[in-house]
Amino acid sequence: MILEALEREGVEIIFGYPGGANLPIYQRLPAHPALKHVLVRHEQGAAHMADGYARATGRAGVCMATSGPGALNLVTGLATAFMDSVPLIAITGQVASRTVGSDAFQESDIIGCTQSVTKHNYLVTHADDIPRIMAEAFHIATTGRPGPVLIDVCKDAQQAEGNWEYEACSALPGYRPAYEPDPAMAKRAMELLAQAKRPVILAGHGVILSHAEQELLDVAERSGTPVGTTLLGVGAFPTRHPLALHMTGFMGTGWNIRAVQNADVLLMVGMRVDDRVTAKLSEWAPRAEHFIHVDIDASEMGKNVRPHLEVVGDAKRSLTLMLPHVQPPPSDRGEWLTQIDAWREEHPLKYAQSNGHLQPQDVLLDMYRRCKDEAIVVADVGQNQIWAALWWNYSKPGLFINSGGAGTMGFALPAAIGAKFGRPDKDVWCVAGEGGFVMTAQELSVAVEHQLDVKIVLLNNFSLGMVRQFQDDFYGGVRSQVDLTQMPDFVKLADAYGLPARRVHKLEEIGPAFDEAQSTKGPFLIDFRIDPEANVYPIVPLGKGLNDFWELPNGA
Amino acid sequence: MVHDRLRLLAVTVENHPGVMSRVSGMIRRRGFNIQTITVGPSTVEGRSRMTLTVDAGYAEVDQVAKQLDRLVEVIAVEDITEAPTYSRELLIARLDRVPPTVEQYGARRVGNNLVELTAETDTIEDFIEFLKPFGIQELARTGPVAMRRTAQQ
Repeated sequence: MILEALEREGVEIIFGYPGGANLPIYQRLPAHPALKHVLVRHEQGAAHMADGYARATGRAGVCMATSGPGALNLVTGLATAFMDSVPLIAITGQVASRTVGSDAFQESDIIGCTQSVTKHNYLVTHADDIPRIMAEAFHIATTGRPGPVLIDVCKDAQQAEGNWEYEACSALPGYRPAYEPDPAMAKRAMELLAQAKRPVILAGHGVILSHAEQELLDVAERSGTPVGTTLLGVGAFPTRHPLALHMTGFMGTGWNIRAVQNADVLLMVGMRVDDRVTAKLSEWAPRAEHFIHVDIDASEMGKNVRPHLEVVGDAKRSLTLMLPHVQPPPSDRGEWLTQIDAWREEHPLKYAQSNGHLQPQDVLLDMYRRCKDEAIVVADVGQNQIWAALWWNYSKPGLFINSGGAGTMGFALPAAIGAKFGRPDKDVWCVAGEGGFVMTAQELSVAVEHQLDVKIVLLNNFSLGMVRQFQDDFYGGVRSQVDLTQMPDFVKLADAYGLPARRVHKLEEIGPAFDEAQSTKGPFLIDFRIDPEANVYPIVPLGKGLNDFWELPNGA
Repeated sequence: MVHDRLRLLAVTVENHPGVMSRVSGMIRRRGFNIQTITVGPSTVEGRSRMTLTVDAGYAEVDQVAKQLDRLVEVIAVEDITEAPTYSRELLIARLDRVPPTVEQYGARRVGNNLVELTAETDTIEDFIEFLKPFGIQELARTGPVAMRRTAQQ
């Protein structure tokens, strides 16, 4: 019945791992050939693959695991999806309902364990409940602010024949997503924006999730308002647009930071205004007279920053309601935009070119020249993530996937595999550091087994680069437990897994390596030996305000 | 009367197994703290009514109700901290000896050395102070149940 429900919900692929407590589901799987099953090599990989699939397609990703350790291995992946509002359905096997609570073999309280990292979860003890719960789970996961939902199904409920009446769920008494904003608030938002001298729009993941990029562009262009994005909002606004401020926050661009810190009206759309956006909260946007916050989740209003105007609703609906009230920019808007241009000139993105080492930016810029605005880039966590966010000029949403909220190392490879399964028409690139890569490297087997065209760009600096940079810059230069010189030979490792690979030391080797990767069918790994001292700039020292951002040191 | 970080909430929940754990778990992980919690069935089958007193901790006080409302099994949350409310708590105490004057507090003697009092929390606190010289062996309190004095428009 679980598999039938998945078919009814239009699921085409499951990322999973069988075990004792979900054997009845796997017994029936061959009878459902429409459901493709991908056997992962570790359950965390299943959760991240489902996550990457969901982010790349906009549909719910589905992962399965058995009870106990199998279910527990999903937890990091669920937390990753929860923090980034990704629709996921996790189906776990549970011991038989009569033995729940008896510390049975491979029993774990996965409902208790995942309460704080799921949007909702269910324990199923009776087969009769399966259709209703499956329908509710899909409804909850995919509507409103999306998120993961876990369904823990006791083994006896998997085996029993229950009443099968499947009706898609459209409403629940305690769950009412606030799609439709108050039109008066939307109108008022545009009045405040029209009165602004130095307005800034910040766009987050919510813009991408609700496909509101066109409405955002319209509001920005018609009102002459510059737009920055959060890390998860990268791609919500074309990076090379004249009004683009690129990424905001404590590793955002200098001109974005200057604009935010000087703005008098900030319109924040589909974002949480978290600590990575604000840095030291009391020093954030000190000149702002009006914060306007648009979000589908009412609890985001005032959670971190108290808005003067709350627009609780879907980003696309909210911006659509705002459009008729947009005022053309006032005659003095040019001054603000000229000022921003000056900041852009004053604080360009820079990197340590020609210091003899291979720079990660050289690698990424070459990639971008090849892929333009078509390929999907899935980044891991750390320096590689910020470089990939800043040095590609994403012009469309959904092309940059990363674990922004949870910051889960090991995310990139399985998420890239999931993204490729979801979007076989797209080139998919996995950008990772060697530290995160080895956390889930076992999923290379999946890429090889399915001959997936996932190209792995390893930015190998022989250390936990972001931690090393923090230690160097903010913790007195004490390098502690960040050395990763003892790592496998990644070319040999790739060979052992059965995929081709190259190692690149020099600038002039980048092009040929990418040529080879692109002309090779199936997965390909390039081990880029980058500058071990390469750092992320700009960066705001931990605990400081945005104004204190550091740039690439002179002479670096 | 109420500390300004404390919120008094009337919450309607689905009467499912584990709903208490969801509510209390959410309050803990958001850095809030439960002062009192009472729960009982409502007039609607499958629904329970809770009265919660929650310390918002470092968070903005409106976060308590908003975060509770995100739970799927929470049907409705009403923050009645600022509203005129009728609030009562029940106390039962076992004493070495029952003073003859308990009726002055509106309390009742029940059995040989038990007393009960239904009153506002402040009065309950005063009553406990009054009882101390008479030897409190055992004491049980429900925490307050509360509702608005007039229905919300």
